[in-house]
Amino acid sequence: MRSPFHSEQEAFRFVLLLILAAIAVTLAAVLGPTWLAPVVLAVVLGAAAVRVAQLRMRKLRGLELPVKMAPAHVGSASERRVLVVANDTLGEEALLGEIMRLASVADTHVLLLAPALIPPGARLTGAVDGLLDQARIRLEAALDRVGHRLTVAGGISEADPLEAIEDAFATFVPDEVVVSTRWERAANGLEPRLAGLVRERFAVPVRHLVFEPGSAAREPDKDTEARYRLEFGKAAARRFGLKALTGTGVLAAVLMSMVALVQSSERGEARAASQAAAEQIAGSPSVAKVVALKVIPEYKRGPEGEKHDAFTTTEFTVKVGRPQKLTIDNTDDVPHSITAPEAGVNIVVTPGTHTYTLLVKRAGTFLWFCTFRCDEWAMQHPGYMSGYITAS
Amino acid sequence: MLVEHPDEETGLAIASGLRFAGYAVAICPGPAGHGRCPLTGPAGCAPAHDADLVVSSLGTESEAAREVLRELRTHYPDTPLLVETPSDMDTGMGELFDGCHQLPAPASTEQIVAAVQSLSGHTAEEASAGA
Repeated sequence: MRSPFHSEQEAFRFVLLLILAAIAVTLAAVLGPTWLAPVVLAVVLGAAAVRVAQLRMRKLRGLELPVKMAPAHVGSASERRVLVVANDTLGEEALLGEIMRLASVADTHVLLLAPALIPPGARLTGAVDGLLDQARIRLEAALDRVGHRLTVAGGISEADPLEAIEDAFATFVPDEVVVSTRWERAANGLEPRLAGLVRERFAVPVRHLVFEPGSAAREPDKDTEARYRLEFGKAAARRFGLKALTGTGVLAAVLMSMVALVQSSERGEARAASQAAAEQIAGSPSVAKVVALKVIPEYKRGPEGEKHDAFTTTEFTVKVGRPQKLTIDNTDDVPHSITAPEAGVNIVVTPGTHTYTLLVKRAGTFLWFCTFRCDEWAMQHPGYMSGYITAS
Repeated sequence: MLVEHPDEETGLAIASGLRFAGYAVAICPGPAGHGRCPLTGPAGCAPAHDADLVVSSLGTESEAAREVLRELRTHYPDTPLLVETPSDMDTGMGELFDGCHQLPAPASTEQIVAAVQSLSGHTAEEASAGA
């Protein structure tokens, strides 16, 4: 795809659009509801993806502006630089013969470029070393057979073949390009349409040499080149379309998850806020805390100085109709009770630790007492084996 | 250097001559090659924008080619424009070439390279004189 920084004008336009998009997202985040920022971001990303896909499809179908470029010639006026691009045809005698012929012309320098043709899967997993080694071995073997080491250099590249050629234009600056392929694309071979793509982009002569094993080089006619361009262009566009579709699906899923997350977080916050407000209104937590207490014989000293049986807690504050759990450890060996007839409460507290439910159905302050015969004085005195339940 | 030439092979030959004279070159076939020239759109033409000099061999027969010349003059008035002008050109078209450097068509690659060298030297002298 064409770089957005290709020219000052394009770079300015790209930066301007980037700034406008950032402003839109920021404004949405600051001024709008929480869901608006992801939606604006999704729209911006979607628009960018559509534009990128449009440009890429145009390039794959060969609809890009037909401007060819080439840097100024490097070296003396008599010097010629020829870039030969080959991969699976590197072993062909006819190709090597052509390179030898080129190298034998005075003041001619040849760069033999072998793109390693790394599949996307290997690129993702980083398993490229083996493929690079194969390309290097093939290239070294070809260079050994060609000889002319002073005028013929070699290089491999792990980039896309077209990008590798663009790089070579920046570093080697060829005056002519020779692209060598098979008639039909072989596995791990260069696409026959590569020559056409190079011809469309660079303002230097481009020769396409086509080889079949053991045969002499042939140059395809214009119709064949057009067929290559069409067939392989369509196939590449189709592959890209599928990838773009997958990418769009993934992007949409990610954005929908983001929006769902934001909405769920908002709902959670709203729920927490309403709960907090309700609690504030009620003045106490919605779930009553368990009250732990004990019944202990001869626990508390009375005003006369003698020790009496007592509950460690004798004042209970409850909400009307809301159950209150009481965990009571009766350390005595006989049962006791919390009995308040007016409140409809009668809890028999058996020896040991057990949990009971205190439920009062009407508001008021009610006296409670123990109905089991124990410490008679304590049974008649709140704060010992008697006390108050306040329900509101 | 932007070379606008409708014929691919001739354009390549001119580009080669200019490259060996030390210029980086872009070749465009003009409206004939693409249908609609970006010069006539709002975005303008990036190669023309970047060029130090434009060589136009598009001719004057078609309205599209004449439109390209007008747009080049309008959008990039400071960029020297070298135009191959046909000898049998309608005299009414003289206005079209105001401010352009003309070269009688058909010009050979050597003639174009020489004219470009002369113009770029001229503009370089102008620039240094103005500084």
